[in-house]
Amino acid sequence: MTKGKKFGMYLFLCIVSFISVFPLYWMVSAATNKSADVVSGRLVPGTYFFENWKNLMASQDVGGAFVNSFKYAAILTLVSLVISSLAGYGFEIYHDKAKDAVMSIILLAMMVPFVATMIPLFQMFSKAGWLNTTIAFILPTISTPFLIMMFRQSARSFPHDIMEAARIDGLSEIRIFFQMFIPTMRSTYAAAMTITFMNAWNNYLWPKVIMTDATSQTMPMVVANLTQGYVTDYGMLMLAVLICTLPTAIVFFCLQNAFAEGITGAVK
Amino acid sequence: MKRKILAALLASTMVLSLAGCGGSAETPAAPAGDNGAAAEEAPAAEEAPAAEEAPAAEEAAGGDETLTVWCWDPAFNLNAMYEAEKVYQKDHPNFKLNVVETPWEDIQTKVTTAATSGDLSTLPDIFLMQDNAFQKNVISFPDVCMDLTGSGIDFSQFAAGKTAYSVIDGKNYGVPFDNGAVVACYRTDYLEQAGLTIDDFTDITFDQYLENGKKVLEATGKPLISMQAGECDLIMMMMQSAGSSLFNEDGTANIVGNETLKVVMETYKTLKDSGVLIEVNSWDEYISSMVSGNVAGTINGCWIMASIQTAEDQSGKWALTNMPSLVGAANATNYSNNGGSSWAVTTKCANPTLACDFLASTFAGSTELYDNILPSGALATWAPAGDSNAYGTPNDFFGGDAVSAKIVDFSTKVPTNITGVYYYEGRDAVATAITNYINGSDIDTEMQTAADTVNFLMGQ
Amino acid sequence: MSKQKKMTLSRKHNLTGWVFLAPGAFLILMMSFVPMVQALLLSFKTGVGAAMRSCGITNYVRMFQDAVFVQSIKNTFFYLIIQVPIMLIFALVLASILNNRNLRFKGLFRTMIFLPCATSLVAYAVIFRSLFANNGIINLLLVNLGILDQPYSFLTHMWSARIVIIIALLWRWTGYNMVFYLSGLQNIEYSVYEAAKIDGASAMQTFFKITVPLLKPTILLTAIMSTNGTLQLFDESVNLTDGGPANASITMSHYIYNISFKYVPNFGYAAAMSFLILVLVAILAFLQMKVGDKRD
Repeated sequence: MTKGKKFGMYLFLCIVSFISVFPLYWMVSAATNKSADVVSGRLVPGTYFFENWKNLMASQDVGGAFVNSFKYAAILTLVSLVISSLAGYGFEIYHDKAKDAVMSIILLAMMVPFVATMIPLFQMFSKAGWLNTTIAFILPTISTPFLIMMFRQSARSFPHDIMEAARIDGLSEIRIFFQMFIPTMRSTYAAAMTITFMNAWNNYLWPKVIMTDATSQTMPMVVANLTQGYVTDYGMLMLAVLICTLPTAIVFFCLQNAFAEGITGAVK
Repeated sequence: MKRKILAALLASTMVLSLAGCGGSAETPAAPAGDNGAAAEEAPAAEEAPAAEEAPAAEEAAGGDETLTVWCWDPAFNLNAMYEAEKVYQKDHPNFKLNVVETPWEDIQTKVTTAATSGDLSTLPDIFLMQDNAFQKNVISFPDVCMDLTGSGIDFSQFAAGKTAYSVIDGKNYGVPFDNGAVVACYRTDYLEQAGLTIDDFTDITFDQYLENGKKVLEATGKPLISMQAGECDLIMMMMQSAGSSLFNEDGTANIVGNETLKVVMETYKTLKDSGVLIEVNSWDEYISSMVSGNVAGTINGCWIMASIQTAEDQSGKWALTNMPSLVGAANATNYSNNGGSSWAVTTKCANPTLACDFLASTFAGSTELYDNILPSGALATWAPAGDSNAYGTPNDFFGGDAVSAKIVDFSTKVPTNITGVYYYEGRDAVATAITNYINGSDIDTEMQTAADTVNFLMGQ
Repeated sequence: MSKQKKMTLSRKHNLTGWVFLAPGAFLILMMSFVPMVQALLLSFKTGVGAAMRSCGITNYVRMFQDAVFVQSIKNTFFYLIIQVPIMLIFALVLASILNNRNLRFKGLFRTMIFLPCATSLVAYAVIFRSLFANNGIINLLLVNLGILDQPYSFLTHMWSARIVIIIALLWRWTGYNMVFYLSGLQNIEYSVYEAAKIDGASAMQTFFKITVPLLKPTILLTAIMSTNGTLQLFDESVNLTDGGPANASITMSHYIYNISFKYVPNFGYAAAMSFLILVLVAILAFLQMKVGDKRD
């Protein structure tokens, strides 16, 4: 690559990164300013961070909500990855006409807006006496057509010769999945984990409908509470939003090397 | 291998637990076939209270005097509930409130979901409801709210215009709470530059408002008022100031041929075209235009004062008076209402006597409560509270004026109008009409379209 | 290996496949399809709140007479046609640049480009509204650069409101899609790229001849997901423009939500409109699968 081209590429990346990050910079900076300054469009960081922090802690149970959110997101991500990747693997590795057809039908499940299915779902859990339970909170989002399809698509590049070799070595099918597929597909798992964690963390409507205790509040609910008053304290709101954004950002940062550094090559 | 066992375990538990769930889920699906609505609804309605008996009995046995409350806004509504708890606890030491902070949209979603599913067990004992949504909810979900007529709460002491929101078929379903009386606030320093004072804005008409506004615009370059585009708050306030509504008593739409609405739309456009009124993109920008001094005033429900007062550096530069009246509309006044909410008691409430007594002796019976919540900006619509000394305290931000007493006075003069069950449909249709009209469409065509939209949504 | 033994082995594998996908498929059956069937039954009923009566296909006829809903279909398709292709191409380009081994600060760039989708919706809405406000930074820039004489009210004009929504979507979801491409790219041997380089292939050629064909399964995935996401678009319409001005930017899901929770609830009608979305997404997804889901 020529020098000019290289420079162009870095410039392009810098511009894209700047556009991506600028609103976030604004958010961080807003968290350190007082409300009136935030709405007036002040861009530089201020000295109001501790004041905002104090107000936020006094007004909302941020600690409790953070722990709740983390607990739900962690459990959901773990269970969801196992169930969905197993299904995606099943669909692709053992594919035949029937399974391809079932996959297409499963895709239909995500095509109806949640508002339409929410009430029948609520009815179902209410009949089962499961309102206000953790299981009702996570069950609907454990297995998603999206994750299943994602694993199905990636399993397409899982080398068949490895499988054949493993079978000849006498490995059972389930062991091939756990011992060969999961390590080989680390990049897919890492990406799926990031996305699932993020979705679980930001999940709002269903938890809100199914959980009614004050003690089961999650971070997005805390943020929503802050936007509801006659007076919105934008500095405090932005601080809450910042706290709400950090975990996903950290999860991404920690996992990104796993899904973008070509680990598959190393295993092969 | 551990992971394998874990996965197998997880999978099997889930299959088992779901099997139980699946069996029961079929029950509602079966009658959902083609039976009439009545046949289907009956069992659902019966089931709800049955499911409630268990916790109800438990509470009674334990002598528990706890009520669960849903409301939003910690500084305002939650604070009021906590203060009410304190007041009531003086005579009822065992009384306790469990207040769950819930945004209004979420209360609406949860009430809708619970009522439609026929399982009210997730609902609280008391919840706060937007006044504009009261008619809709009571009529759509007759099982949710308790009829509070004859419950010992004296509704006659509340401002009539306010109580009307929660009266359906002559029955009271809500205990009025916060005041939404409309105030007009102005920056006196800007008015001064145009050679005007707050008196030039008191008891005026919109014609005079426009003339004054042009002077202010010329002298300072600031519009008199900013409004969120696409939201018709000001339109609705103007309508109510002349006692007019988008609906008739019988529930039909009152849009085509509504002369007041036409006057309102024309007035709004004139204000906008003259530059005296500026439209902004969002609520944030509306607040910003005031706190950063880009407009010389606003007209809104009195709760807007709390936002204005966040601009501490503008203390003493604001003054408050009543809103302008419409020209060319019958029954035009200088008073109106925007926003506000009332407390509703659910039918799910295990101890309705306690809930009603609590509300009767606090929000409908305690001057002390209203004095205590006044610092948070919560103004009463309960007449006796307005006589309290606390309401006469001067407010330095608004030039040392006793604004609280003034607003309570305004609120008694607000004309009553009809919210209508289809309030939000009507409001959105009119918002569309006004947007198109401002952009050059014909006013009669737009009013006709709005009426068509509302009638379409009303026809099932 | 005798033919018969091979048959049983393949039958065994076939069965193993079903066992593997059973838990996931069963959960979807219970959590999605059972409620969907109930919603479908509901779509043949009408009424206020919980009091419903059968009405045949009235709801399905009604939605096409509903001017606001028809407008929402048009808006949604406008977003779909403009935004999805731009976003996917852009994400693909970014992913292939960031897959370059010799690039420095890769991790930093990647994280920065991903961050928008991790941002909570509330913050993102507040930020975008303030950026495009009359006195916001965008107007400030355009006026100072002499492109505009006076601030332009982006969210109150029909086309600019729609374009703001598209910009917001691009900002929020490009990094998200890039993640799938990046992870998909790891399954392509890096030596393929090095070989292409030695053969003197240009960046363009490498992109179209190697990256795109090898990423086809992932591209299919993101295309279907984005189509689905856009046809069910809700957040941006509600939080950025509130569907305005005069319904110029309202989406189908937003209108369905209004019918369910803001207006006097009519769940039968809402369900019928939801099933129209299902049909539309299904058709588009089917076409995409036809084109993209071939095993070589």
